[in-house]
Amino acid sequence: MSSGLRSQLLVGAAIVSAVVLVGVYLAAGGSSYTPEKTQDPCKHRAWSNPESLGEIANQFSVSALDGAACELGVSREELAQALATQEARERFTERYGISDAELARAIRAGLVRAIADAEDAGALSPLIAGPLTSTVEDIPLNQAIELIQNARSILGSAESFFGPAGELLEEFLP
Amino acid sequence: MRDGVPQPRVAALALAVGIVLADSSIVVLALPDIYRDLNTSVAGVTWVLISFNLVMALAAVPAALLARRVGPGRTAAVGLAVFAGAGLACGVADQLSTLIVARCVQALGGAAAVTAALELLPATVGSERRATAVWASAGATGAALGPAVGGLLTELISWQSIFLIQVPIALAAAAPILAVAKHEAATGILQTELSRTGRPHLWANLALAMVSAAIAAALFLLVLLLIEGWRLTPIGAAIIVTVMPLAAIVGSRIGPLVPSAKARAAAGAIFVSGGLAGLAYLPKAEVALTLPPQVLIGIGLSLVLSALTETALAGRAPQAIHGGWTISARHAGVVIGLLALTPIFTADIADQREEAIDAGTAVILDSQVNPLLKIEIAQQVGDRLEDEKGKVPTIGAVFEPLPADPEERAEVVQLRDELQDQLDRGATHAFSPSFLLGALLGLLALLPIGLSRRVDL
Repeated sequence: MSSGLRSQLLVGAAIVSAVVLVGVYLAAGGSSYTPEKTQDPCKHRAWSNPESLGEIANQFSVSALDGAACELGVSREELAQALATQEARERFTERYGISDAELARAIRAGLVRAIADAEDAGALSPLIAGPLTSTVEDIPLNQAIELIQNARSILGSAESFFGPAGELLEEFLP
Repeated sequence: MRDGVPQPRVAALALAVGIVLADSSIVVLALPDIYRDLNTSVAGVTWVLISFNLVMALAAVPAALLARRVGPGRTAAVGLAVFAGAGLACGVADQLSTLIVARCVQALGGAAAVTAALELLPATVGSERRATAVWASAGATGAALGPAVGGLLTELISWQSIFLIQVPIALAAAAPILAVAKHEAATGILQTELSRTGRPHLWANLALAMVSAAIAAALFLLVLLLIEGWRLTPIGAAIIVTVMPLAAIVGSRIGPLVPSAKARAAAGAIFVSGGLAGLAYLPKAEVALTLPPQVLIGIGLSLVLSALTETALAGRAPQAIHGGWTISARHAGVVIGLLALTPIFTADIADQREEAIDAGTAVILDSQVNPLLKIEIAQQVGDRLEDEKGKVPTIGAVFEPLPADPEERAEVVQLRDELQDQLDRGATHAFSPSFLLGALLGLLALLPIGLSRRVDL
């Protein structure tokens, strides 16, 4: 074999190896191996069929976060991180120049949306949804945050929220 | 002594070249440990590598000139002593700045030892051609073994041991050279051919610099990906990256079959670029998927570095000066690669960290885990990520202990795996642009290789 042919073979082998490797990796999803993109919080997120109080609380929290995040123009995930601790909340409000009153307003709007979503999904009776909406529209910031974080405990032991009407609420929950 | 060749001196010179050139890559696997111990940043710890390579690049040619002026024996002996002393300082350094200064001094001594060794070798082994072969092979062996030895020492002892162990080795290498140094001092023999030094081979050295930048990217980024991104131990990463030098051995067997240095250089650059592009498009965070790209890079680096070094030295005298130029070009390439890629890489880590955290939060929010447990996990993951701010996030033991209830346990395990997958995606993807830039640098090296009419020997 001539030296010229050997040279061509070596360069050809290098090109083929490189193209095949990159092609196989791209075909196997190499260009899409990135973190999942987060969903627009203003888009409606369908509720799955809730069968227990825990599942209702879960989806209620997610809907409330979506609603509040949509109001603030941030992602649901970023808002969830911000509400985890007092320090995280302060960093968040400072970063976006949001006052506590604006944050409270957004979270209340989120809770209202969550109640509407729960009602639409058949998870909450209209008899309860109305008064519940009126109640969350006036609750203070910390209690609103607590409601998002721990909807189950509040929905589950409704007397802490509705007083004597709590037992009635339990009956209207699936 | 065999055939008139003083074997201890040849071994000492080869050892000197090997240990110094190993030093440009030996700390690669220790960087994550240094990064944590000295509480620095990715950009900061990169200077442990950059400083050594930068000083080597700047000092190689002046060191070769010094070796010819004051005598290669004396230069090599003093260089090794300085290298050993600075190695001791590196080993006891408790601050990044001290470590970087000591690394600079170490590189000064190393540059003197390596270039002086090339000046001493022809007289020691009997021919210039054989001297070049011994010099190049010792350097390649050192560079190839460096990361694995560094990883092993870091895992078994500590990162400091990498430097401390070099002290007796460098002094042992200096011992047989002392006789030459004493002879030079006694006879006063000096080289006076400085004015006849030919011009360095511009295109070969330029291509060497560009390919070295790409190779530095491959080694540095791959190690960081394995240790910081995928949480392998240094010894585990050392074993994985050993594929590259093993593939380089295969490349060194292929090389002699193709006489054209230009073809070997071009094919090598394409192999290196293809491997880097493969690392840029990893379809999953799996160690096995790094092996095929490493094989291409290993074969490629062996072909391209040997072809370009031969070309840069062929027919040029004095060898020490032109050897100095190749050392300078290679280390300058490493520096350029690290300086160009580190800011891109660190910025990508920050961006991908945010995306991965958001994606991880989405996984937690959408999971079916008990809401109270979900809040607890979310807060612990948040605290963990906050603690590792600026670094590739790991969630470690956040999920331990797992719930006792089998159903809840299965849900938590699923949540943990999905969350880890998102973080792995973020960590892996953060490296892609830098690997791609490295691949581009390798391809750009084809320009000087193609432009040179004198690459073929």
